[in-house]
Amino acid sequence: MPRGGMPKSAQSGHAADVAAALYQRSGAAAYGVSAVQFTAILDEILRKYLSYNSAPNSARAPAEQKAEFCAGLRLEELALARACAAGNERAWQDFISRYRRKLHSMALHITRDGTHAAELADSLFADLYGVNARDGVRSSKLASYTGRGSLEGWLRTVMAQEFINRYRKQKRTVSLDEQAEEGMQFAAAVPEPACASDQRLEAATDEALAELSSEDRFTLASYYLDGRTLAEIARTLGLHESSVSRRLDRLSTGLRKRILAGLRAQGMSHAQATEALETDVRDLQLNLRSRLTQDSGAKTFPGRQVSAQDAGDPK
Amino acid sequence: MTEVPKIVYDRLRAALPEPALPEPAGPERAHPDADVLTAFAEQALSATERDGVLEHLALCEDCREVIALALPAADIVAAPLAAETEAVRATVSRAGAPAPHKLSFAWPSLRWAALAAGIAVVAAVLLVRPGKLNQATLPSVNPQVATTAPPASGPQIASSPVPSSPIASSSTNQSSVSAKTDEAPPTSELRLSKKLKAGQVVTPSHQTESGMLLADNKKDSGLADKLSAAPSPRARALDAPIVGRSTEAVEVSGAAVAVEVAPSADGSLVARNDAPAIEKAKPALQEMDVNGLQKTQAAVVPGPARSQARNMMSAVKLAPTASQTLTHNVAWAIAAGVLQRSLDSGQSWQNALRADHPLLCYASHDDDVWTGGQAGALFHSANRGVTWVQVQPSIKAQPLSSDITHIDLRGDVRGDVRGPAQIVLSTSNNEIWSSSDGGTTWEKK
Repeated sequence: MPRGGMPKSAQSGHAADVAAALYQRSGAAAYGVSAVQFTAILDEILRKYLSYNSAPNSARAPAEQKAEFCAGLRLEELALARACAAGNERAWQDFISRYRRKLHSMALHITRDGTHAAELADSLFADLYGVNARDGVRSSKLASYTGRGSLEGWLRTVMAQEFINRYRKQKRTVSLDEQAEEGMQFAAAVPEPACASDQRLEAATDEALAELSSEDRFTLASYYLDGRTLAEIARTLGLHESSVSRRLDRLSTGLRKRILAGLRAQGMSHAQATEALETDVRDLQLNLRSRLTQDSGAKTFPGRQVSAQDAGDPK
Repeated sequence: MTEVPKIVYDRLRAALPEPALPEPAGPERAHPDADVLTAFAEQALSATERDGVLEHLALCEDCREVIALALPAADIVAAPLAAETEAVRATVSRAGAPAPHKLSFAWPSLRWAALAAGIAVVAAVLLVRPGKLNQATLPSVNPQVATTAPPASGPQIASSPVPSSPIASSSTNQSSVSAKTDEAPPTSELRLSKKLKAGQVVTPSHQTESGMLLADNKKDSGLADKLSAAPSPRARALDAPIVGRSTEAVEVSGAAVAVEVAPSADGSLVARNDAPAIEKAKPALQEMDVNGLQKTQAAVVPGPARSQARNMMSAVKLAPTASQTLTHNVAWAIAAGVLQRSLDSGQSWQNALRADHPLLCYASHDDDVWTGGQAGALFHSANRGVTWVQVQPSIKAQPLSSDITHIDLRGDVRGDVRGPAQIVLSTSNNEIWSSSDGGTTWEKK
């Protein structure tokens, strides 16, 4: 988590004290979650995420990193969600009073369609409540909430995933979850075999793209491929709109330069390179095996198998 | 927007994995789970983890869509407030005692031009009508005060014993030179959030809060009243210097007027107006700078004495738009060390407070919001985050320096904040600090 070091006093690692403090902060006791249960929940979350949050070269003790990570979690919301999943009555009342109505407005925001919104919200609520019992055991989707982000944001995300699975299936051959379970990513929309594209141009473009940071590539893809607005991208990245605009300007100028340079490095003249770049390549078949792909995707997330099932549509 | 070459579209699109070459099923190919995506969108991930997510998102259209769909509804309703909240970036002075008062201001949306105009008008008025103007008011309005400075900056004002010519302390009792410096704890310093008003020209009506802001300079005697009415620590501290310096000439310079303007959205722009010091020659000047504890006042009678009031670092903060109509759906959250506020029951969020140290926790009760963070950072807002005051809990001059990990508000904080509200802080070194008087005095358990 984006926190600085804790004072030395906390490093001495009174693990029990830390756990007790976290437990107290979470207010889990009010929902009938015992300290032991809560610690077990935190342990589970730590196992899931900590390897990606601990700097390998860090001199800090693992205990400290753990405490720090836990302190960054939304403990109260975590306690509420897990207590709901465990069927605590009071937790449910709290959850319903806080989120039941919001679910509908979220759904409306996502679907922009009253009928679908009601359907989506109800279906998610059922999942949260865990009516889709497997083997008689109620399994609430809330059990997969880990407090990394706000509970409300998580609800929106889960709902958006559900929406994409449910209402965009016609666009996909397989759902998010199915693919995830197979450990695959999505197929490109036009998975045609490669042919006569100018290999040099592709190579130069790939090279130029690969030099960008992941955030830059995300920005490019969001803006040019997905047609997101500057405002949306800005909010996603926590930037101001004008920063995104400036970044896009910088990126497009820079990319052009880099590609031209790349082409020239492959022996093209300046005129040839410019012409190659300006050629409309939209009609060209795509070669899906790109260097960009090979370079990227090395690290994402652990624990996908679990969360894929949890986050999926249980039906 | 500059277009990118078409090939870039294609290669971006082509960057999707090759379906004909199934990767070995491994976690690294999987979508980030909902928790991580949420934390990403809320800027709550560590840099490493965020990079990983971005790497995935750059390649995964579906996850990008999830993120986009899951964005909170646009902040149309809260837009003006969003701008305002940005302005409330914590520039707070380490006042030894917080001012636990209700603040309800009508912020005029003055901007640079208005400020410059205000300064110009003040100067003009002073020059043109030196005789008539008895009090040029530079009332401090914004109690949010900038960050700490070394103790040395304590009593800056009255301590400049310009011997030029002792000002007649006769004409009217208080309108004689009275340099009043609150020197309470030297740790506090004088960085003031001030709104300059040009006399009454640009004067919107302010509901100033009596303890913290003394914007009313017209009544000289009013000052004394207010001082005595001020919370005890301040009043106490004021006594001595007043007497000692009442006959000293005081140098006043409006030199470093730091202006912090909130632009409509782009974070908080801090602009400094190091422009010409406002030197007031003969005209009487009454200037007040107020922050949590420290207050300086210089009132000069027209006379031979050329006096300058020197305010180091007066921070002027202009928060646009009055927000009298805050809804009651205010919700709070901490994301990545920043306190965020939602005015629409969580549909949309704006940064409400960004402090020097990451914030870790908050507690709110109606209009009252407390938020704490690393290194003992503690802030209080009595008006739903419109304005903030930094509180430095200390016991016997031992300040709280460990991280504040949890805040509890107990008792009834409704109504008078100085009521029985109890604030309980949990710290990273497992101490419990509590205050029953709105943060003025603290006990450790």
